[in-house]
Amino acid sequence: MQRFYLPFLLLMILVFQGVALDFLPESLIADKWIIVPHWILIFLILISVFYDLESTYYSILYAILFGLMLDIVYTNVIGVYMFTYGIVTYAIHGIRKVLHTNYFVALLLGIVGVTAADIGIYIVYWFIGIHAMSWNLYLIDRLVPTIISNVIFLILLYPIVKPKLLKWSQGKFDRKQ
Amino acid sequence: MLFFRKKRLFIILIGFILLVGLIGFSLRDRDELTTAEQFLKDTVGWIQGIAHVPVEFTTTIFSNIDEIKNVYKENQVLKERLGKYKLLVHENQELKIDNEELQSILDKTESIKDFVPIQASVVSRSHEQWFKLITINKGKQDGVEANMAVITGEGMIGKVQTASQFTSTVLLLNGFDRSNRISVSIDVADQDKDPSGFIVGYDEESDSLLLELTEYDSKVNKDDLVVSSGLGGLFISGLEIGKIKEVNPDQYGLTQVAYVEPSADLYAMNHVIVVDRVMPTPDEEKLEEEE
Repeated sequence: MQRFYLPFLLLMILVFQGVALDFLPESLIADKWIIVPHWILIFLILISVFYDLESTYYSILYAILFGLMLDIVYTNVIGVYMFTYGIVTYAIHGIRKVLHTNYFVALLLGIVGVTAADIGIYIVYWFIGIHAMSWNLYLIDRLVPTIISNVIFLILLYPIVKPKLLKWSQGKFDRKQ
Repeated sequence: MLFFRKKRLFIILIGFILLVGLIGFSLRDRDELTTAEQFLKDTVGWIQGIAHVPVEFTTTIFSNIDEIKNVYKENQVLKERLGKYKLLVHENQELKIDNEELQSILDKTESIKDFVPIQASVVSRSHEQWFKLITINKGKQDGVEANMAVITGEGMIGKVQTASQFTSTVLLLNGFDRSNRISVSIDVADQDKDPSGFIVGYDEESDSLLLELTEYDSKVNKDDLVVSSGLGGLFISGLEIGKIKEVNPDQYGLTQVAYVEPSADLYAMNHVIVVDRVMPTPDEEKLEEEE
């Protein structure tokens, strides 16, 4: 039963990402700011930090699977989210080995991950001509608000999810520490 | 250690090839989605339909409270207007009957204005705002097809981009480009013949649609109403699109370009109507001939 918790939670986050913008006041979106929720990525980073062992790659598997689902459900172009989320989670999984797992590391990895993923998405979409936004405009209008909003989400999610993830991880891999 | 580095490089390269392949696959000009995509969109759409109810309730509660404050005043004004409407309704009925009689004399039963409305609710909006997409909860099973116009009470908001079995994806007006033009006519008050043109895109800076007028010398004023003409073959005629904000000659001086402010609010809508045109569209005609 426990093995279904993570995919189920991720699916719920995927669904709620579609109505995320309704929660924000309209003046904020209609104006010039573009706020993109990367909630799935935030959750994947937490999985990678607290659930995965060094030798298991569940976070990357879920990154590819749910990245693909994001692509199909919310965009026209398949593969962009799958690729960027996959690579970013892979990198985070690698960095995690050198750092201790605590609150600040999770926060730092969250900021780094969201920044890297959003820049990656910007580059790929720019390359295939989805948008024609200049780098400076992108930096101010999209990247900064996106990072801030996602870090807020991470701070809210962290205390709820961390103990659960550690427990499930222990149950699954039978960690003796 | 070297082995691992090679493996890592290998994985990243394979990922890159996969990315290019998938992008190439999805960027083709396609109207139909694969079965797997349809299935996924329908499943997620179904869950979104359930999740959307409490979300809509909580997000609209504040605006509802705001509205309650003004209800009394509005009610007074509306009651006053209601009296005037009765006369209008009567006049309208007379004209309608007249029109029907005259058309039956002409033996003309189909009109470019006729449509079947399909009511739908918006269940989600793409979180990636570079794609101006929303998902609605009606699909092929309810008669929705690609390229149908989508409207709200205030005016046109977009067109159906792809339809799955139970949900469909709608491209909003502010995501339109040259590959999905709308042919429109401008309702100028003091002229008999309405000037025509095409909506060719959306200007992000001024938040308005770009309208290319067909004739250089047509006179168009500020605040004139822009409606679809139905001559593009996809939409019905008479759908309100917006109001003219400003008219300029285009960059080569060959035509005029007008900026049109959309009538409908493209950011806040919960209920929409899909317009199923009764007159066959050119694609359907071709198919029938082939059969």
